[in-house]
Amino acid sequence: MSSATIKSTARYVVAIVTVAIFVFPIAWFALTSIKPISAIFNKDRVVVFDFKPTFDNYKVTVLGGRKSDSTKNSSILMGTSGDGAYDGRGSIMSSIIIATCSTILATVISLLAAYALSRLSFRGAQGYMHWILSQRFLPPVAIIIPLVFIFRDLGLRDTHLGIIIAHTLINIPIALLILKSFFDDVPIEVDQAAMIDGATRFQCFYMVVVPMIKGGIAATAVLCFIFSWTEFLLSLFLTNSIRTVPVKITTFVTSTGSEWGYISALGTAAIIPGFIFILLVQNHLVRGLTMGAIKD
Amino acid sequence: MSSVKISNLEKAYGNVKVLHRLNLDVEDGRFVVLLGPSGCGKSTLLRMIAGLESVTGGDILFDDKRVNDVHAKDRNIAMVFQNYALYAHMTVRKNMAFSMRLNKTDKKTMDEKVNWASSILGLDEYLDRLPKELSGGQRQRVAMGRAIVRDPDVFLFDEPLSNLDAKLRVQMRTEIKDLHQRLKTTTVYVTHDQIEAMTMADEVVVMRGGYIEQSGTPMEIYDNPNNLFVAQFIGSPSMNILKCEVQQNNGAQSAVIGDTHFPLPTNSSLQVGQIIHYGIRPEHFHVSTQAQHGSIVGTVKVVEPTGPETHVYLNIAEHSLCAITRDRIELRPGDAIHLQPDLGHVHLFDGDTSNAI
Repeated sequence: MSSATIKSTARYVVAIVTVAIFVFPIAWFALTSIKPISAIFNKDRVVVFDFKPTFDNYKVTVLGGRKSDSTKNSSILMGTSGDGAYDGRGSIMSSIIIATCSTILATVISLLAAYALSRLSFRGAQGYMHWILSQRFLPPVAIIIPLVFIFRDLGLRDTHLGIIIAHTLINIPIALLILKSFFDDVPIEVDQAAMIDGATRFQCFYMVVVPMIKGGIAATAVLCFIFSWTEFLLSLFLTNSIRTVPVKITTFVTSTGSEWGYISALGTAAIIPGFIFILLVQNHLVRGLTMGAIKD
Repeated sequence: MSSVKISNLEKAYGNVKVLHRLNLDVEDGRFVVLLGPSGCGKSTLLRMIAGLESVTGGDILFDDKRVNDVHAKDRNIAMVFQNYALYAHMTVRKNMAFSMRLNKTDKKTMDEKVNWASSILGLDEYLDRLPKELSGGQRQRVAMGRAIVRDPDVFLFDEPLSNLDAKLRVQMRTEIKDLHQRLKTTTVYVTHDQIEAMTMADEVVVMRGGYIEQSGTPMEIYDNPNNLFVAQFIGSPSMNILKCEVQQNNGAQSAVIGDTHFPLPTNSSLQVGQIIHYGIRPEHFHVSTQAQHGSIVGTVKVVEPTGPETHVYLNIAEHSLCAITRDRIELRPGDAIHLQPDLGHVHLFDGDTSNAI
């Protein structure tokens, strides 16, 4: 074998092993979601493929089926007995509303702020950037108690708007920093050329510079969405009845046992909206859109 | 089209003054080149004319109308940047039509103008391409196209050719000059390349350290530099300068450095003992391998034949000089060489002030 063949084989092996390590938990999760309860909780051995697939877990968590229907033949009994306790449809909808709205808000606000910070010079600009970054120094758990009180007093606790605002605020510093670096990559002469061509500052922003950093905006939006989709702590403390998917899933861990079937079914189903969102923006997830604007 | 007048123009960043009371008249339809080394303020001046930099003091007038406080977008100027600054997400056509799109020109006029500009610049077949699919020269042409479709009062060029390779630069130089001759739009062009300045300009403005050192036609500046800086900045290879003392020998004055006596023009009003800079361009030496009456002897260091002429670098009294000859002379490093300065082309500068005498 030539050294080139060995190299390329080695590359494939490393790639396959790496992907396998990352995909295995998700695959196992998805597999568990279609296992009957007897296969999940088999005390004697680990059941991998030799089970009769069932969609009962999905029926209960995402289609609104009754738990009592799916467990009537089972000898294993645990968890909450209430039929609506495992219905994740509301949670998925809440998560979609919260993640989408907070992503749009965080991206739009950061876009405007990042452009200003990249293009306009003002006294204390550097300190202002540091201040923004410092918003991420504290872990959210450190501010959770005052936040709960503030949100309660403002009437924002247990509302979609409340969580949207919380997620937007958490996302803005990172989104702003990322977008600023993309704006910094666009030479200022492009703005100046547009202004000489007759554009106002705002026209220059939305007609020229923003389209040139589409890739950066897509990447930022994906990051914001994933953060909001998976965020647990704020959602847990700031809500009672509105349950985002991560919070909802924890309720499946009960004092009488963990409902692994439902956990995995709702978890697997929850991957799908995020997956669709990333599919939609992935075409823009390329850097180098500024290529050609200037001498490379 | 319009004239541009700069009157006592000043620019400062905080306490740092970068332009000092500049005065300049650019007549309607003229091609004026601002020339100078990096940091001399030429780009700042251009950007102030464009409205991209604020004015600290003095006035900028377009057709005698003060434009200090007029926004860049309302000055009806067009600017070509060093790094092209194209809109990367738009096709060539959209890049060129952008200004017209902003002022809501109808589609027919827009198409006509874009087609007119693209035919002038040879961009017809690239109109639907993105900038990233074009070569450097083509991109620079798009930037120029974007400027000419606007039919501006003033064209501003900020070192537009410095990112291009040598061959393309020469070609684009001719194209820009040709374009100016066709459109006759008032043009202010910034460069640090004196060849560009000499070849393109109706008028060259030499700048240094925020001051205008001299302005005039290229040949005026070349033939009659006001001071030592202009003399050395213009011309390639640059003018030979030797710091000499004026002495009286056999009834005639000469400029002496070491043991070497350089003849001085008879009409020069110098005093014996005066320290001067003796300047002579390389092509104003008569070069020979034979000693002649009044010739100066040097030692050949390097010989550079360029084809039409040969550049000879030599040492005289431990000073390096350059001489250019169009004769086919066989010279080798170490050979003795005899030079006769053409006295009609000797430039003398004051030893203290460096101004022309």
